[in-house]
Amino acid sequence: MISIDEGNGATRSPTPRIGMQFDHKLRQYAPADDLVVRYDVEGVTPASVRALERTVLWYTEGKGEEDLGVHHFERLDDAARVAEALPAGTVTVRLPASPLSYEGVIVKIRWCVRIRLFFMNGRDFVSEHVFEVGDIAPARGVVERLQ
Amino acid sequence: MRLPRFFGKKRGHRRTGSQAWGSFGEAVFYAALVAAGLSFAGLLLSGAVSIGPESAVPAWSHGWLWVFVLLIPGALLAFGLAGVVRTVRAWGKSEERRAAAEGLSTLLESMGQTADASPVHPSVPACDDLVNSPGTILRYRLPIESPESWALVGMGLFAALWNAVLVVLAVSAGIDIASGRVEWVLFAVLVPFASVGVAGIVLFVRRLVLTTAVGTTQLEISDHPLMPGNRYDVLLAQGGSGTVTSLVLTLEVEEMASFRQGTDTRTERVIVWRDVVKEWTNLQITPGVRFETHVTVAIPTGVMHSFVSEHNAVRWRIVVRGQPDRWPGFVRAFPVVVYPATSAEPAAGRHAVGVDEVSG
Repeated sequence: MISIDEGNGATRSPTPRIGMQFDHKLRQYAPADDLVVRYDVEGVTPASVRALERTVLWYTEGKGEEDLGVHHFERLDDAARVAEALPAGTVTVRLPASPLSYEGVIVKIRWCVRIRLFFMNGRDFVSEHVFEVGDIAPARGVVERLQ
Repeated sequence: MRLPRFFGKKRGHRRTGSQAWGSFGEAVFYAALVAAGLSFAGLLLSGAVSIGPESAVPAWSHGWLWVFVLLIPGALLAFGLAGVVRTVRAWGKSEERRAAAEGLSTLLESMGQTADASPVHPSVPACDDLVNSPGTILRYRLPIESPESWALVGMGLFAALWNAVLVVLAVSAGIDIASGRVEWVLFAVLVPFASVGVAGIVLFVRRLVLTTAVGTTQLEISDHPLMPGNRYDVLLAQGGSGTVTSLVLTLEVEEMASFRQGTDTRTERVIVWRDVVKEWTNLQITPGVRFETHVTVAIPTGVMHSFVSEHNAVRWRIVVRGQPDRWPGFVRAFPVVVYPATSAEPAAGRHAVGVDEVSG
């Protein structure tokens, strides 16, 4: 699949499609569980990819500035390893005890797996797939606003 | 190569525009600061720009004066060089790679026992400061979170400094009067200065009386940190004298988020969960004899644990709210740390989404 760059239309590069299969039903994990994710990349050739990053991380959403915590990071930047990791690969990691996924009012915590591809033409493409750690009830609403 | 765009848009999770051009612009800005610092320092050292006529300052102070003058280009150089180094180190790296590098440095710091977070539970605040005070009856005495005390200290400092300046001006005015001169400008300044000084003292004394009039509140707990599903014995001790029409002990969860709004950094705090543990009415407190009572605090299962990151936090606290008969009401908060449950049964999914993003 080809997409037109949003900048000025001059640069055309392939747009990959990245699918992920999580080993737990409904992408639900308990703290300290083993996470096994199989990904499939379609629409790119390994020769067009300069590097690939596989990350398991949490980030915050909501009113505050975004915070990011990387639990697992792997960068493959030599041709042989990139060729091994494409078009399909597996990320296996043991999850930590915290933080747990949380749907708060002004603070939300999301866990996700990101696959980032760096192309030879300097562009990059990231695919993010959210999963849940723990079973925390979402916050019901604001009881009181503090000054 | 794409030309830079000066206006970007936010498209869901991502922003349009080139990150590389943004970093380049940032590097150019810091490099300009370095260039300005070097040019300024060069002009000063070459003598093209002087620090003033030789007779304007004593000879002995020339060396020191040069050091102070060189502070300006020095600050430009330091700020610019730090920015250039930071930009170059982050150049071409994804946010995950940068965060992973920061996480590594945090890990190395934690090996030196300086971590803010619990080593077993990442992003959960450490509770070392909450368990270093033994209780008289129960295991730990909880420290009080006291913004009122800091406000009192701030008001006291302001009143002291302001009135010190006022005394200097008043002495100067007195010397003038004694020597037969009257500086009307000085007197015109003294009148509003004195008004602010007196107001500062009055406000400080009022705050001091309000803070100390109601007796101290003490809380002890049978164990810490707290775990979901567990119950804890809590001792509440309230000092003071007279009638307290209402005293309420609650367990609360607070979310805190800090964000930039223009050039300001703002913090928003909301209580998202509150459980009234117990309420007392019309308590008669005798001077020298504290009101003491034991209650049980239960941490529900399936609740969010304590969490802290750079800009966001979820905090647990036990709060005592009192309404004395003759004084304004008071709120005293005692932070506690709740750990995540050791095992959790996954429930029905709330989020199962994938997001793709292209940038260049």
